[in-house]
Amino acid sequence: MSDSPSSGEPASPQAAGLETFRYDDGLPRMFLMATLVWGVVGMLVGLIVAIQLVAPSLGGLHEWLTFGRLRPLHTNAVIFAFAGNAFFCGAYYSMQRLLKTRMYSDALGKFHFWGWQAIIVSAAVTLPLGFTQGKEYAELEWPIDIAITLVWVVFALNVFGTIARRRERHIYVAIWFYIASIVTVAVLHIFNNLSIPAGALKSYPIYAGVQDAFMQWWYGHNAVAFFLTTPFLGLMYYFLPKAANRPVFSYKLSILHFWSLVFIYIWAGPHHLHYTALPEWASTLGMLFSVMLWMPSWGGMINGLLTLRGAWNKVASDPVLKFFVVGVTFYGMSTFEGPMLSVKTVNALSHYTDWTIAHVHGGALGWVGFITFGMAYWLIPRLFQTRLASPKLAEAHFWMGTIGILFYIVPIYVAGLTQGLMWRAFDATGRLAYPDFVETVNALMPMYWVRVVGGVLYLTGAILCLGNAVVTWARRPERYEEPVYEAPALGPYEPSSAESPWGSKRGDGGAFFDLRRFAALRWHRRWEALPLTFTAWVVVAVVVASLFEIIPTFLIRSNVPTIASVKPYRPLELLGRDIYIAEGCYNCHSQMVRPLIAETERYGEYSKPGEFVYDHPFQWGSRRIGPDLHRVGGKYPHLWHLQHMEEPSKVTKGSIMPPYPHLLRDPIDWSAAQKRVEVMAMLGVPYGDTVRHAEEDARAQAADIARALGEQIHPNDPAKQAAAAERYKDKQITALIAYLQRLGTDIKAEQAQKK
Amino acid sequence: MSLSDLISHMDLSVFPEVALVIFAGVFVAVSARTLRADRAAFEAAAGLPIDDPAPAREEEPRE
Repeated sequence: MSDSPSSGEPASPQAAGLETFRYDDGLPRMFLMATLVWGVVGMLVGLIVAIQLVAPSLGGLHEWLTFGRLRPLHTNAVIFAFAGNAFFCGAYYSMQRLLKTRMYSDALGKFHFWGWQAIIVSAAVTLPLGFTQGKEYAELEWPIDIAITLVWVVFALNVFGTIARRRERHIYVAIWFYIASIVTVAVLHIFNNLSIPAGALKSYPIYAGVQDAFMQWWYGHNAVAFFLTTPFLGLMYYFLPKAANRPVFSYKLSILHFWSLVFIYIWAGPHHLHYTALPEWASTLGMLFSVMLWMPSWGGMINGLLTLRGAWNKVASDPVLKFFVVGVTFYGMSTFEGPMLSVKTVNALSHYTDWTIAHVHGGALGWVGFITFGMAYWLIPRLFQTRLASPKLAEAHFWMGTIGILFYIVPIYVAGLTQGLMWRAFDATGRLAYPDFVETVNALMPMYWVRVVGGVLYLTGAILCLGNAVVTWARRPERYEEPVYEAPALGPYEPSSAESPWGSKRGDGGAFFDLRRFAALRWHRRWEALPLTFTAWVVVAVVVASLFEIIPTFLIRSNVPTIASVKPYRPLELLGRDIYIAEGCYNCHSQMVRPLIAETERYGEYSKPGEFVYDHPFQWGSRRIGPDLHRVGGKYPHLWHLQHMEEPSKVTKGSIMPPYPHLLRDPIDWSAAQKRVEVMAMLGVPYGDTVRHAEEDARAQAADIARALGEQIHPNDPAKQAAAAERYKDKQITALIAYLQRLGTDIKAEQAQKK
Repeated sequence: MSLSDLISHMDLSVFPEVALVIFAGVFVAVSARTLRADRAAFEAAAGLPIDDPAPAREEEPRE
């Protein structure tokens, strides 16, 4: 395998006008193996957290292994490591062939590969250690975010450089999907991760409360769109025709599919925030565009399935096509369900329940997973240049995976509906039928066990795939063949060229065509080698939609009415909040009481936008495995929290929360207080004088809480009270209690004043 | 008057409708352009993934 671009692009042409070149299959080989290895790792962590929910004692083995820390590791691993590497593998393989050129730079490709794997390893180390930004799928701290940006830029350079060097005029639709993914993910990643460092691995986002929530779900939703959907649609549009040996059913439909998705997806993010403190118009806008997404998504699904016209007999015998057919079908199912869940009334029931988890896994296991495995089985013999070690095991993987998905999603749908209905059930006297939250969790245990079986099946299938790939790799030829290909270089761009689908119609009026005449300028001709116009249109579509939603959300004062009694967190409470974030409490607890009668009955006053103005980052959460915590402040004595954190099941019978004994043992990092308050002040939080003596203030509050704790532990023994106060005054639990007791209480002061 | 004041005074309840109109306009434009495009050239484009040229030198590895 040659490393230098010059040897990859043989200089001497075979014949006049023809250029010769070799493809670089080393890079797709590396990304393929990384996909399969990280896939097994990410799914294994998923299985571990699923088991922790049915066997909570396993959650308390070590503080690094609690659900709140491992769940982000699972999501980040399967999204960025498994799906990410799969996208890179397929993109590097298909782009070279579709553009009839080697990738622009072997060195950039290698940097991309090793840089991305280093990012994954750093995520796998920092997340269990509790370094997190506390925003779902954007947990990685600021130095890793910068590394991601750098590696992404390298990837983009390599892709655009390759397109500039192409020997095929038309850029096939799969590459459109890759380009859209690259530019949009860059925009999303940068803007959602804007934060101010408050330490080597600690930062606070520049946004707070409603605005942070809005940015996060603009990011979160579109990460699903542009990291898990468009890249895999690109792969589908290349590898499905390849495996079926049929051109795509309708190229026109694929273009409509592309532009509709790019234009609609960005608008849909607010559907993650229905009935929250988000303004009504934004919520409606998100719902409307989500429902519209159904149309192009099904256009794409139909286009994929009909590509198999006349090739259905192959599906019975070819595991690759089997994976693709089931994968595309799951794409159809998820993209029907997504719009349905975005309808407010459905969302009122489904949100915060396992329904979301089932929906996500239908898409992740069925669509992303099966397109990846189908692509892997197609690529393995071609990349390793020998027969697949065991087609029978590939077949077994398909059935295990399919049954595994069903065993996963069916019980979790049932769990979601069960819990959602239990939360809103009232008895004949008008009281909550299940007032203890834990009842609604314990009812799900049989379903959670079935999910474990589904997870085991799916993971086993993935291990079989990895094994099959490793054995095939072991049987590779001594030296990979690198055939030399020939193609004519692209001449200068001619606007009247019939090579372009739009070429023959050009010049017959209409705004697009007038623009083209303008484009005939010489400077522009050089640009035509780069698909800049195309990329610019994608950026316009994405940015217009984003600004349409973001600008009003940030600028309208009435969106976040100020509440005079809402004050910044005291320094100790801020430190406690950081512990809450580090432990990943948001993975199981929301902080958002929706204005629904079942919620106000259970938790108290619904949450107001103005209550979150100092929340950098917001912690509204997206799933309630435990109860909402926004009104937990003042609900229980300090001692309750201390005992509950030490061993939750002793305080709440049947609780599946892991114990946090280390919080009672580990000291507070007092030296961090000053810096963190300073950064908060820099972000506009009105700390006033406190900014000059943050540590002093934190220690004073801790002493008060520790004293109260001592009195509650030993009500009649002043000597022991003092000892307990001394013991807890510098422990992390005290900071966490300070935060939890503060939660949602400011508004009560205002209500008391009014009375 | 700041930008915040200006936008705060706007009635944004029409935003979903405005967005819908923008979308519909773009969709119609893209559809019209796509449907008017040349069929033969599209067929050639659709064939790109499966029309791999044979290597000029060295046999392609057998599957």
